[in-house]
Amino acid sequence: MKKEIAITAFKCKKCGRIHYPYHDRCLGCKHREFDKIKPEGNAKLLTYTVIFNLPWGFDQRFLVIGVAEFENHVKAMGQIKADSVDQLKVGMTVIPSWEPVRVQYGEDVYGLKFEPVE
Amino acid sequence: MRDVAVIGAGMIPFGRRDEDTLMDMLSFASLKAMDDAGLGDKSVDAVYVGNMGAGMLQRQSAIASSLADRLNLLPAAADTVENGPASGGSAVKNGLLAVASGYYDYVLVVGGEKMREVTGWRATDFVATMTHPQAEYPYGITLPGMAGMFTRLYMEKYGVTREHLLAVSLKNQEMGALNPFAHVEMALDRDGIFDSPHAIVNNPVSADPLHLYDLCPVSDGAAAIVICPLDMAKKLSKPPVLIAGFGQATDTHTLQERDDPTDLKAVTLATQQAFERAKLKPSDISVAELHDAFTILEIAESEHVGFFKKGEGGKAAAAGKTRFGGQIPINVSGGLKARGHPVGATGVAQIVDITFQLRHELPKNRQVKNAQTGLTVNFGGFGNNVLAFVLKRVEQ
Repeated sequence: MKKEIAITAFKCKKCGRIHYPYHDRCLGCKHREFDKIKPEGNAKLLTYTVIFNLPWGFDQRFLVIGVAEFENHVKAMGQIKADSVDQLKVGMTVIPSWEPVRVQYGEDVYGLKFEPVE
Repeated sequence: MRDVAVIGAGMIPFGRRDEDTLMDMLSFASLKAMDDAGLGDKSVDAVYVGNMGAGMLQRQSAIASSLADRLNLLPAAADTVENGPASGGSAVKNGLLAVASGYYDYVLVVGGEKMREVTGWRATDFVATMTHPQAEYPYGITLPGMAGMFTRLYMEKYGVTREHLLAVSLKNQEMGALNPFAHVEMALDRDGIFDSPHAIVNNPVSADPLHLYDLCPVSDGAAAIVICPLDMAKKLSKPPVLIAGFGQATDTHTLQERDDPTDLKAVTLATQQAFERAKLKPSDISVAELHDAFTILEIAESEHVGFFKKGEGGKAAAAGKTRFGGQIPINVSGGLKARGHPVGATGVAQIVDITFQLRHELPKNRQVKNAQTGLTVNFGGFGNNVLAFVLKRVEQ
């Protein structure tokens, strides 16, 4: 079963600026009250890279990672389901999902994954 | 506030130093700086140690106290300063403010890191701990990965090309080959890393679109300076180097929350503060050490500090304007790219390099002719905490 994307973003009640991750004061107007919002819809790929020198904890050859903006303007980093950057282009649509992104202490750690749309 | 000058500078060769502990390296660099200052058996009032990872990499904490003991600086005040890859710059700032305020007269500032004690896997993870613990780190992002994403944005917006990045890489490796303190004393051959069919093997993609030789090495090393009030420094034999201005600024932790992720606001603000305090402008600078952990950063910083307009830094590098002998020589030491980047040491090493330049002590093939002023930029996180220093030669 598809898991819900367990990210909460925060919309400033005063100026409307959207934050992810959380801040105690708005990055725009320093207001302290926010509405919790969930990322909505598909996302647009803003930038990406493929990393070949991985950090401890990743037992694989490479990782494709990018930042994408959801339809309601929440921006977040995630792993991209691609074998090569040749499949990717800034501005393309990606479909988000909530899946294991690494294993720590024998347990799956869940996070954002983006699947490029042809 | 009192004017503050560098009166002693020293560093040890960066690289893989299996034979030395972190404390050995900090101690060796400190003694060089103290001897250079002519302190003899005298002590200092305080010591500030810039270091990012002793707790994680060496399982050692409170290293400033250990260093005070090791060097018998007792009972000097001693503090460790941790600010990621800008730890060295922050340590210099703490020393500067302590002397400028009149609280201390003689202060030792040393930065050091021993990163090769662990595997590349572990070192990469250690550096990645400065990324956001929930929004970035779990995905396996690394600092080269951040730089790769930043490079892609910079290429799209400003037309930076691989040729531009290559120009920085070749220049800094060429200068590093002349620097006995450099980690990578090896000039690169353009054909071998770019043009030939073997280039993909010699210079593979590391964090697309960045290749291996766009990245600094993982290094061990330490560097140190001794500072005191300018009035006292003028009585010494070597020309004092005035810390004419410094600035520091922060930016959002994650790149995606910046209005324009290609805008390194903290670099601009820190440098503007440093220039204002020094009453100088970018065109007054004789030589600069910029934080080129990745070739793209030298290009972007050369624009953000005001040497070139936005979008012109890559072309300027390719045209040779930032070479030794060019319009504004950048990273004559070889920079982080070739001298190396023991993270806690870098901010101090940049000041040491500029001090040597402004005292006109370097060999002809690295000494910028009649250098009077220098700029350093120490870049923490991915531009979320940046320090800039403007230094000036003082004639006695």
